[in-house]
Amino acid sequence: MSIFKPKRFPFGNRIHGTKLSKKSPTETIPAPEKVYISVSQHIGAPAIPVVNIGDRVKKGTLIAEASGAISANVYSSVSGTVSDIRDIVNGLNQRQKHIIIDNDFTGEEEFLPPMPDFEPQSIVERIRLAGIVGLGGAGFPTAAKLTPKTHLDTLIINGAECEPYLTCDYRLMIERTQEIYKGIKYVARALKVANIVIGIEINKPLAIKAFSEFSDLKVVALKKQYPMGSEKHLIYVCTGRKVPVGKMPFDVGCCVQNIKTVLAVFDAIENNRPLTETHITVSGHGIKNQKNLCAPIGTPFSSLIEYCGGKTENAKKIVAGGPMMGKALVSLNQFVRKTDSGLLCLTDTETSTDKPTNCINCGLCARKCPMRLMPMYIESFAMSGNFKEAERYGALNCVECGLCAYNCPARRALVQSISMAKAKIKEMKNGK
Amino acid sequence: MENNLIYSSSPHIKAKRTTRNIMIDVCIALIPATVMGIVYFGAYALLLVALSVLSAVAGEYIYLLIMKKPLREITREFDFSSVVSGMLIGITIGTNYPWYSPIFGSLFAVIVVKMLFGGTGKNVVNPAIAGRVFMFISFQWAVGAWLLPNLGSVYGETVISSATAVVDTSSGIVPKLSVLDMLLGTGMQGCIGETCKLALLAGGIYLAVRKVINLIFPLIYIALEGLTTVAIYGIDFALFLPSILSGGLILGAIFMATDYTTTPNTRLGNIIYFIALGILTAVLRFATNMETVSFAILLMNLTVPLIDKFILNRPFGYKKQIKTKGENK
Repeated sequence: MSIFKPKRFPFGNRIHGTKLSKKSPTETIPAPEKVYISVSQHIGAPAIPVVNIGDRVKKGTLIAEASGAISANVYSSVSGTVSDIRDIVNGLNQRQKHIIIDNDFTGEEEFLPPMPDFEPQSIVERIRLAGIVGLGGAGFPTAAKLTPKTHLDTLIINGAECEPYLTCDYRLMIERTQEIYKGIKYVARALKVANIVIGIEINKPLAIKAFSEFSDLKVVALKKQYPMGSEKHLIYVCTGRKVPVGKMPFDVGCCVQNIKTVLAVFDAIENNRPLTETHITVSGHGIKNQKNLCAPIGTPFSSLIEYCGGKTENAKKIVAGGPMMGKALVSLNQFVRKTDSGLLCLTDTETSTDKPTNCINCGLCARKCPMRLMPMYIESFAMSGNFKEAERYGALNCVECGLCAYNCPARRALVQSISMAKAKIKEMKNGK
Repeated sequence: MENNLIYSSSPHIKAKRTTRNIMIDVCIALIPATVMGIVYFGAYALLLVALSVLSAVAGEYIYLLIMKKPLREITREFDFSSVVSGMLIGITIGTNYPWYSPIFGSLFAVIVVKMLFGGTGKNVVNPAIAGRVFMFISFQWAVGAWLLPNLGSVYGETVISSATAVVDTSSGIVPKLSVLDMLLGTGMQGCIGETCKLALLAGGIYLAVRKVINLIFPLIYIALEGLTTVAIYGIDFALFLPSILSGGLILGAIFMATDYTTTPNTRLGNIIYFIALGILTAVLRFATNMETVSFAILLMNLTVPLIDKFILNRPFGYKKQIKTKGENK
C-alpha cells in the first residue's frame, strides 16, 4: 500500500534534539531484587491492593484491583514475596501507595485465562482485565477508551514519537512489526472500525517501510514537526478533521492509540500476559550508554541508570519522559510505571539554566503554538492571578507541549504558568 | 534535593535563540548602513554614532545602578537592546546636528522611554524613534544646513533634494532624482544611516535569513507607502521608486517598525499595523512635506495595545457557533 501525505499543518516546529539511541536494539533488563509497584499508574482512581504483606506472588499475579470504571488493575512484575505496602514519596514529589515485592528469581509466571472468543466485547474485557492503559504518557485506561458513546469510524495509531531523544516506539515498530500489526487488528475489531491509519514521522523511514507492507493499513508519513504526536493534531493531519474546542477525539469519530498500547493488547490476547513490563528509552548525554530497554514495572530508576553504565559527572537533570513534556525528578527515588517512556540524564549544556527575563513581545510563542493560543497573555494573566481572563484567552486548550517555552528568547517558564492557570481554573469551576 | 539535581518545569531543552542573540543580530544588520554612513559623511558621523551608543549603554547602567542593582548582575543580564537603540539614534541624525545632541537623545530614549517603563520589552513606543523625535524637536535651533556626502552622484551632477520631499510643493516640480543615486545614497543629503538603501536592504535580508524579522511586513509598509504616494499625486507611477527610496522609509521599515515590543502579536494584527503605517506615512509626508516616518511609527506604536486587544488568535478547532453570549472571540 502506498504511503500517504499528511495534511499541511502550519504550526509547531522542528526541535534540535537528537535521537541518540536510535540504533540500539531493545534489551530486556534483568529483574531487580526489589520492585516498587505504585497503585496509581493511570488517570482515575488508584487501584486497591488485594495482597497482604508476606503473600507469595508470581509474575503476573493480580496485586491491586481497579476501583471503578476509570481505573486499572496492577499486576506483579516479578515472582517473590510482598515485603511491604506503604506510601512512598517518589521522585516527582507525589505521595503514592507502593507495593514492594522481593524478587526470589524463580521466574514463575501466572497467566490470564485463555480468551473464550475474539468478539469485540471479550477483547475489551481482556484489555480491562490486563490493566492496559494508554502507554503514550497520559495513562487513560484503554478499555474505557474502547467503549465510546458515539459512533467511531477511524482508528489512528500514533507512531509519531515526536519527542526528541525517545526511540523506544521506533525500535518496537521495526523489531516487532507483526505483533504490533496483530494488536492493531484486535483494537480495530474491538472498535468495529475498518479504517485504520498509522501516523509515523518521516524521520523513521524503516518503520514507514515496515508498515506500508500491510494492505489494510493507511500509512501517513508525518512531517518532522513537533508536536505531531498530540492527539488532536494527529487526527487533523491524518484525517483533516478538527477536534472542536473542549471536545474529545471520539466526537469526530476517531480513536487514537499508542504503539506500545497495541503491543500490550497483543500480549494480553495472544500470550495471555497482563501488563507487567514497559518499554523505556534511557538517553541523554548525561548517561554512558544510551539504550532502549524493556523493564519490569516497579524497577527503580537507579537500576536502569546502572544498567546503562551510570551517569556521567556533568549530568545535572534527570527527567522522566521526553525532554519537552517530561517531568524533572527531585530525587532518584522513582520507579518504572506503566506510562514511562523515557528516562533522560541531561547535562548542563543540553538543558537550559538561563534565568527568565522580560517578555519582549516577539510573538514567537503565539506563532508556534499548535493550539493557536497566545501564551504571553495567558502567562501574564496567570502571574497576576487573573485566572478568569486567562480562561478567556483559552488557557484550558493548552496541551502543554512546551513549544512556547522552548522557543521563548526571554526564557520565560510559559508552560509552568499556563498549567498553573489551568489547575486554578479547574479548581474555580469545581468550586462553583 | 539530593545529588544537586536541577529541578524545573518542562520543557527541559530550549532553542538557542535568546533576547541577547536577537539584539546582537540586529546590531550586525545595522553595521553595513553605519559603515556606509561613515564613508559618506566622514569622521564626524563616526563621532555621533559612537557618542550615541556609549551614552545609551551608559544610560542603562546608570539607571540600574541608581536602582541598586549589582554591577555584575547588570553586565550578566545586559541584552544589547540599548546598543541597538544607540546605533539607531546615531544613524538617524544628520551630520548637521551638534555633537551633543545624540547624548541627550540616547539618554532620553533609554532612561525615559525604556527603563522608566520597566526595561526591555515594557516600553510603549520604540525608544530609538522617541529619541530621534526628541532630538528633532529639541535641537532644531542648532541644526545647520544638510551636508552633502563625500561621494558625488554617479551621474556627476549634484542632486539637490531634501532628504524626503518627493515633490517640491511650492513649485510643483518633481525634482530630478536618479534612482541609482537614491539606492546607493551617493550625492544625497540625509541622515547618516539612511542614505545608502542598499546597505539597509542587506541588513534586512540578513535579519530575514536569521529569522529575526519577517521581511513581508516591511515590504507591505514600503509598498503601501509608495502606492499611497502614487495615488495622492494622481496615479503617477513615476513617483513610486523616488518615494520609497527617499528619506528614512527603508531604515524605518526594516529596523524601527519591526521592533518586537511595539508591533502587534498576531499575523493579522501585523498586517493591519503595517498597512495603516504605510498609508499614514504617505499622507503625513504629503500634508507636512517633512520627513514623517518616525512620527508615523511613533503614532502607530500607540495603537498597538488597541490592535492586540481586539485581534486575537482563535484556538485550534475553534468554531463560531459555540460562541456564547457575553463572550467575545
